[in-house]
Amino acid sequence: MNVEIAGLTRHFGRNQAVAGVDLEAGPGVFGLLGPNGAGKTSLLRMMATVLSPSSGKMRLLDRDPGSYGPRREIRRRLGYLPQNLGYYPSFTVVEFVEYFALLKEMPAARVPAAVATAVERADLGDKARAKLRTLSGGMLRRVGIAQAIVNDPELLLLDEPTAGLDPEQRVAFRALLRDLGERATVVVSTHLVEDVGAACTEVALMNAGKIVFRGTPEQLTARGEGHGVGDAPLERGYSAVLTEARS
Amino acid sequence: MMQRPGWDAAPPDVDLRGVWTAVAAQVWRRKPGPFERLAGWLLRSPGLARALVTTPSLLLGWIIATVVVLGAGAAVTSGTGVPLVALLAPALAAAGIAYAYGPGIDPAWELTRSMAVSDRMVLLVRALAVFGLNAALGLAASAVSLSVGSGAAAAVTFGWLLPMTAVCALALAAATLARSANVGVAAGLGGWAITVVAAGGSSGRFTALTDSSFVLPYLAFAACCGAVVLYATRIPRGLS
Repeated sequence: MNVEIAGLTRHFGRNQAVAGVDLEAGPGVFGLLGPNGAGKTSLLRMMATVLSPSSGKMRLLDRDPGSYGPRREIRRRLGYLPQNLGYYPSFTVVEFVEYFALLKEMPAARVPAAVATAVERADLGDKARAKLRTLSGGMLRRVGIAQAIVNDPELLLLDEPTAGLDPEQRVAFRALLRDLGERATVVVSTHLVEDVGAACTEVALMNAGKIVFRGTPEQLTARGEGHGVGDAPLERGYSAVLTEARS
Repeated sequence: MMQRPGWDAAPPDVDLRGVWTAVAAQVWRRKPGPFERLAGWLLRSPGLARALVTTPSLLLGWIIATVVVLGAGAAVTSGTGVPLVALLAPALAAAGIAYAYGPGIDPAWELTRSMAVSDRMVLLVRALAVFGLNAALGLAASAVSLSVGSGAAAAVTFGWLLPMTAVCALALAAATLARSANVGVAAGLGGWAITVVAAGGSSGRFTALTDSSFVLPYLAFAACCGAVVLYATRIPRGLS
């Protein structure tokens, strides 16, 4: 298992963002759904080793992120796209992706080819030498995806990766997700239920800091049978599970 | 994700994607500047060297502003005898240190925190680089404004270098604890202002507490602030 989490919590003052999450995930694309404030981003940030848990146990890539050496090794094999991608406006696309390849401690000789591959996979070849300040929001999102996959990660954490992408790019991105998920564990936090249906092999639905559903997209769809809210079958499943959890 | 036109028509034994990527890697390859290459060699980490050259308070505009302020201070000091260089150098360095790294200052701070090169190392090398540059600029300004003689080195050391160390450490500790560069700057400038005003009250002119008897207190204070920074950037244990 690449992700093993038990009883994970995180408080921000009195607010409990994550309230005891248990999760195991191996290779594949894992969708994390839930309404705003459900705790998805906090959970992803803890898995990215950016945020420390308040309590609970977590092992990533069969290592303990609480110790310096294993944590560094995890980070070498990790790809992370935060919800709000900060960037250096004067950097070009290639410079930005290369910067994070170096910070992931990739061997310097491998970096140029890895950067070129990541930029091409994110469909940014035509903008490789463009300054980041000249790019649209959707293109910046793809730059974020390129830096996340530059080290060919074993664990890839993507927070709202399709925000700002146009429909054609989203279809291409789902294909990339499926490709990445054949070797790595890809955890995708999203509001877009259709992304989960098209790309994910497994899905978890969070509400109020807890996982209230875990299964395949087909099982989530089945939960929505007879439920009136939602335009698509998967949306009805999402809505049905949330309604049940809130009651 | 990308499939360029014509790739489908390539013979099966030709990997056009691989050829294209290899060519692109060479064409797009960035050549690091001499400073970055030197930093990479000294630090034994190309990633850390790249993080160093992206330090916000080492950007050209910031350096030019520091040179201009210290240059004006040196001119006033040599013309009037008012020790402006000694008063300006610690404040400028403290602001530079506080604006070296952190949320709201480094755009990619969150991403950098998830990287194998630890953010504590990024903070350390950036703080050292900013401190070193400001110390060099302060020395140059002092050389212009001080008459070179046997007492010049002591005047520089006790006049601003030691206080600068303590004020920079305070700014760094406050910025790290509060996770705010502005808080760091406020603490550094506030601490320095109190020191100057307190010395001015006893001597009748605005100057720093520069007596050699303050060496140990300044160093002890800097060491305490350094310990606070180390504690605030530690890796939490026992949760995994």
